[in-house]
Amino acid sequence: MELLKNEFLEILSNYQGILYKVSLVYFKSKTDREDNFQEIVYQLWKSYPKLQNKNSIGSWIYAVSINTSISRIKKERRIEYRENVPELHDKSDIIDEMEKNESVRLLINAIHNLDEIDKSIMLLYLEEKSYDEIAEIIGFSKSNVGVRINRAKKTLKQNLKT
Amino acid sequence: MENIELQKLWKNIDTEINQKSKEELNLLLSSKTKQTINKFLLIMGFSNLVCIGILVYVTITALNRPDDLIYLINNVTLGVVTLISLFSGLYSWRKFQNYKYDQPLRDWLEGRINLLSKWLTGSYSKLYIFLMPFLYLLTVLSIHVYFENKSFIDVLNTEESIIGLIVGIPVGLFVSYYSVRKVRKYQLQNLKFLKDLYARLGNMS
Repeated sequence: MELLKNEFLEILSNYQGILYKVSLVYFKSKTDREDNFQEIVYQLWKSYPKLQNKNSIGSWIYAVSINTSISRIKKERRIEYRENVPELHDKSDIIDEMEKNESVRLLINAIHNLDEIDKSIMLLYLEEKSYDEIAEIIGFSKSNVGVRINRAKKTLKQNLKT
Repeated sequence: MENIELQKLWKNIDTEINQKSKEELNLLLSSKTKQTINKFLLIMGFSNLVCIGILVYVTITALNRPDDLIYLINNVTLGVVTLISLFSGLYSWRKFQNYKYDQPLRDWLEGRINLLSKWLTGSYSKLYIFLMPFLYLLTVLSIHVYFENKSFIDVLNTEESIIGLIVGIPVGLFVSYYSVRKVRKYQLQNLKFLKDLYARLGNMS
């Protein structure tokens, strides 16, 4: 078990950027992003023992991260049972850091205004994922990936102009 | 902005990410695992406590009234229905918690929608409408009859008891229905949200 956990933490450590970025496109507040990050870690750990194709770890992490984030988006805010989340040394927020870069901030804002599906498609596109990978993560046919990316890009560019 | 520019711009984020150490990630995982276990224990503990409370109560009161057959039937029915409700509730909750996240978004949404639809709009989804007044009536009768120190039939023949039941039952039922409807409304909104997302994916394939 300990060996499995170490192996998992090693992978997580290398791929944690994905968790940050998925949380960033889905959640505006720092607290929500941190909660979501932690939930993704937990869901990844839960499904890790069943992960068969270790050659597509990236796709697995994207899929779990996107599904977890969507499951956490609530139409209405509600109080959740929470225990103290450990305070980590990292006090700075990525959005605060991004304030320094106006273009990036505008891009993040424009992504926040997309619908939930377009957010994931745009994220994968910006991450330069192949059509095959996007089709695998989202679950639709490869032939539709291009169409959908173009549609999402168009909406994103409109959001950037406004 | 050109496409290449957008992707370049996005890459800036990588430089701003504060990477967590393996120890910090481990701490996050342990804390979340503990939190989930505690949440499960809290729900299990509360449900078990209520269930054990009802079972102890119906057993003790039934033993004190061995000659009142109708009262015994009332209490046994209450105990059995409570147990079935508790186990089916915990089973559904566990099934929902264990739902797999490691699949394509489309499949995940489909599974989640099916699961929620089965609960909220499936064949047994309206069972609570009948079950709640039934359980409530059995509980009220069990308590009322016991503390009146009369037999079941005698209590039901007393005018004051009937008036009390006629006034008390609607109030209790209103509170119970109101709470259940609030939870259902929230879950139905959730289901609608998932269905909307799925429909948007459906339009693409």
